[in-house]
Amino acid sequence: MTQQSSQEQELIRINYGTPRPYKWATGKYIGKLYKEAKENKQLVTNRCPQCKQLLWPPIAFCGRCKVDAGEDWVVMNQRGTVVQYTYLVVPMWDPHYGEKFANPYPTATIKLDDGAYLVSRLQEQDPEKLKVGMRVEAVWKEEGRGTGMGDVLYFRTIEE
Amino acid sequence: MGNRVAIVGIGQTYHKSNRPDVSQPEMVNEAVRAALADAQLEAKDIEASFLSNMETFEGIYLPDHGMADEIGAYMRSGLKVCTGGTSGASVVAEAFHYVAAGLFDVVMVTGFEKQDCGDTTAAITAACTPVWGKGVATGAIGEFAKQALTYMENSGSREEHAAMVRLKADRGACLNPYAHLKLGLKSIEEILASGYLVWPLRLLDFCPQSCGACALIYASESAAKKMAQKPVWIADVETVHQEPFRAGSFGDPTGLETYTQEVACERVYKRNGITDPIKDICMAELYEPSNWEELNLYERFHFCEKGEGWKLVEKGITEIEGAFPVNPSGGVIATNPIGATPTIRVAEAALQVRGDAGPHQVTRDVHTAMATALGGPNWTVLTLLKRSL
Repeated sequence: MTQQSSQEQELIRINYGTPRPYKWATGKYIGKLYKEAKENKQLVTNRCPQCKQLLWPPIAFCGRCKVDAGEDWVVMNQRGTVVQYTYLVVPMWDPHYGEKFANPYPTATIKLDDGAYLVSRLQEQDPEKLKVGMRVEAVWKEEGRGTGMGDVLYFRTIEE
Repeated sequence: MGNRVAIVGIGQTYHKSNRPDVSQPEMVNEAVRAALADAQLEAKDIEASFLSNMETFEGIYLPDHGMADEIGAYMRSGLKVCTGGTSGASVVAEAFHYVAAGLFDVVMVTGFEKQDCGDTTAAITAACTPVWGKGVATGAIGEFAKQALTYMENSGSREEHAAMVRLKADRGACLNPYAHLKLGLKSIEEILASGYLVWPLRLLDFCPQSCGACALIYASESAAKKMAQKPVWIADVETVHQEPFRAGSFGDPTGLETYTQEVACERVYKRNGITDPIKDICMAELYEPSNWEELNLYERFHFCEKGEGWKLVEKGITEIEGAFPVNPSGGVIATNPIGATPTIRVAEAALQVRGDAGPHQVTRDVHTAMATALGGPNWTVLTLLKRSL
């Protein structure tokens, strides 16, 4: 019986063993974000020379001003404020990796104190404690960095 | 604007979650036949075919392959358009450009999606690379959930208002012979009792996945004069796009962005002398993936002041017999064959202008109607229709 059930599991987990031929380049600008996240646990981005807004993620051009964004790099404060949030009630899965998201998997749009907006996970798992305006701070993965924003494990709630 | 262009034929399939009885080309053929019958034309009368479909939603990259025979397009001119959620409206605009430019006199536009073939959420998630944009993907619904929260916070509306939109949609869908979800909803309480999918969106707050197709036949002004069907004139089309992933969201929590909806409608209103949209336009078919988004869109298209979209539905203004009916067909929340969804908005608006919508024909006389489309990468596409130019 034990052997039979392990065979059933083998059928579900089909391992092709052949690498898929995708090669997604980060490019120069997002590449810098990846490098700083991996090596220094820093969130960096660049500022438009014309409108002076922080662009996010880093990019070569400011779409609004239609100018080269250039190399005015900023190391951002990793604290911010939640402006939008949601959480899963019905389990969802990631079809790329075949992984199910753990419920409630709260995610938020966060305004960093420097002004850039980004989307990340929240540490807080209790829906009752999720609020617009809650103050949060980035917590970094210790292992397996090199995945850009994926290097941020989540944003934890902070008291100020 | 080029030469005048009229819609002279309209056809739809019925809509269901699953159509195991037909292949995709056979399903599209149903809409093509219906449009030809409506126009009283034959396949040989059509000079070019313009198609809309979402690549990879059916699990393959070129879903228009192997379809030429079934849609009567063998050796015809034409092309397929794929611009994300707006595809079915981009194709309406694209074909309009060809006829307005004088390149063709009679063409067919066909939007289609057979979502029982593949995995729509997988395809949406695969729209972004793991390098950027995939991030904390929870499909399209997570984005609309966050937007709903922001709408509630900013406007002071309550879940009851979104439920009123859902009731209105279902009432229309139950009258529409082609609609997918016909739930017979009776009360707001019934909607508020449906479970949450992604907070604060409930099961009944979001659009379904439908199989279906919709076809339109256009004629140039000279060709339209010889046609049997009453013409509905395409008065204007507009496309505005923007990068949605900069702020990480469809909506704009930053307050820094200009909405593509506002830019698009302001251009159309200005070009067409529309100063009071809900008086000058008689009804609208909006692309609303959720009931919350419909409230948001009322404001983005200047149907009311900011933060007051929910008052339009509370006062019954957007009901079928209201002063400015919106989505009498039941809208996207009732019927969503993605590549056809925006084409259906145009088809339904055109039927209202013709007075041929049947049981869901609005009370108000419709001489002008607007159809909208929304989709990643954050495009807005508008089509303005008129009974006479």
